Amino acid sequence: MEQVLRIENLGHAYGKFKVIEDISLAIGRGETSALIGPNGAGKTTFYNAISGKFPPSKGRVFLNGENVTGLPSHRMVDKGMCRSFQITNIFAELTVLENVLSPLIIQQKKHFKPYGNVFKDRGLMERAMHTLEQVGLAERARQVVSSLAYGDKRLVEMAIVLARDPSVVLLDEPTAGMNPQETENMIQLIQRLAEHSGTTFFITEHDMKVVFSLARKIYVLHQGHLLAQGKPEEIRTNEAVQEAYLGRKSHA
Amino acid sequence: MSLSMRPHLIGPFLLLLVLLFAPLLLPVYWIMILTEILIMGLLAVSFNLLLGYTGLLSFGHGAFFGLGAYTCALLLQAGHQNLFVLLGAGMLVALLAALLIGFFSVRLDEIFFAMITLGMGMLFFSIAHNWLAVTGGSDGLPVFALPVLNLAGREFTFYAPNSMYYLVFTTVLAGIVLLWLVVHSPFGLILRALRENKQRVAFIGGNIQLLRIVAFAVSGSFAGLAGVLFCLFNSMATPEFMHWSFSAKPVIMSIIGGTGVFLGPLFGAAIFFGLEQLIIHFTENWMFFLGMVLIPIVLFFPQGVFGTLRNRFFKQG
Repeated sequence: MEQVLRIENLGHAYGKFKVIEDISLAIGRGETSALIGPNGAGKTTFYNAISGKFPPSKGRVFLNGENVTGLPSHRMVDKGMCRSFQITNIFAELTVLENVLSPLIIQQKKHFKPYGNVFKDRGLMERAMHTLEQVGLAERARQVVSSLAYGDKRLVEMAIVLARDPSVVLLDEPTAGMNPQETENMIQLIQRLAEHSGTTFFITEHDMKVVFSLARKIYVLHQGHLLAQGKPEEIRTNEAVQEAYLGRKSHA
Repeated sequence: MSLSMRPHLIGPFLLLLVLLFAPLLLPVYWIMILTEILIMGLLAVSFNLLLGYTGLLSFGHGAFFGLGAYTCALLLQAGHQNLFVLLGAGMLVALLAALLIGFFSVRLDEIFFAMITLGMGMLFFSIAHNWLAVTGGSDGLPVFALPVLNLAGREFTFYAPNSMYYLVFTTVLAGIVLLWLVVHSPFGLILRALRENKQRVAFIGGNIQLLRIVAFAVSGSFAGLAGVLFCLFNSMATPEFMHWSFSAKPVIMSIIGGTGVFLGPLFGAAIFFGLEQLIIHFTENWMFFLGMVLIPIVLFFPQGVFGTLRNRFFKQG
């Protein structure tokens, strides 16, 4: 399978404290994968280091075969990696439509174009409405985002992330804070998108139901190290994982 | 397209009509007040591109206004009387200064951004105040000859208050139309996105610092245009334009009028000068009363007078 994201010996330290160390993994195109691990295992640090929030202290990141290690976040997006955040990260006082137009404007390199009404730009509007239809928000296009329900706000972030047709999408706990119905909808949405658009999803999640219904491959992070990786059934039966993580989690 | 199909344009259209015929309706004294309101309105609207649309509080916008004014005064002293050269040169000098100041300040946010722009502005104030040979120091730089405009074989001068009014009216209108285009463009939407959440802009591929520098430069150059006009109107460029207390004026006007509405700051300028004119009839301590007026405005009109009234009576569509 063609590799879309490859990480080599990635490490990050705050001063002397090594948060993550020596992480290597390779994700195939279209292969939904999940990164799991107890709180403090270093998942968010790992995400931040590979998505350009800060450069990693060690190791290399390859995206579509190209070395993108240490690029700032906006360059990372240009290269094809988009991400969501644990805490919903959207443009609160803009409309749903304006939220999804923003990434498209940048993708079409119109972000310094100082004339021409945005809403009359067909190239932008058609793509924007298409993206909103994908996540099921087309009817709410003219609503200001801050007036939406929590689950819909998460969908707005999803639309922002998907708008630019990224080759890899990092989702940091996409169902955190959602009710069971919203969680189920999000799972179905990710499944649908992975099947139809060929987007590669790489998610972190605490909800094991979400992980096992979506991921074809699971990576387990424990105390900054990659403890195990494999297919869901292999991870389920892995003793080290059960000891470190699943065992403790199952009676929670 | 007819106006009945675009109800949101009726207000601006009526305003334009009133401004166009104002010299027939108002005494000369009020025409001069109106001229000043329009110039300061352009300064405030250009300033609000940063505060209201990009989410940056610049406390040094007087520097660009002053640079426009000094550029105009120096060119006139050197004998350049072409109106378009004066307007263009004032904008260009302000633009270059804005690129420079922007380069050093856009990395910072909120109060830090306000303080560094204030400091940079005071740097220019010091130069204007102390470089006697070029700027005339604290006395300022007087202008003895106004530009002439050759248009369609006719020569226009601007010594009469009414012709000065029409010069200012036309230029401010052009400036405001251009800024309106910017605000509604793709660039304008990205600026509002920056105001809402700059981290998200970075994670959709936007270069935050570059976007902010460009916004700062656009805003600064229109402030420079307002400065050129004020120099012509006032027949003088003075260092006070660059003082931080002058830079506070567009801040106050934008807050009075409403930062969330495009023309809000223009109305803020009108209210500011209108109040000043009313109050100085009764007392010299007009700043005291300005304070008294500002407090209820901030309390009862959280989106500015114009913004709050509009949201109250017209639902946004």
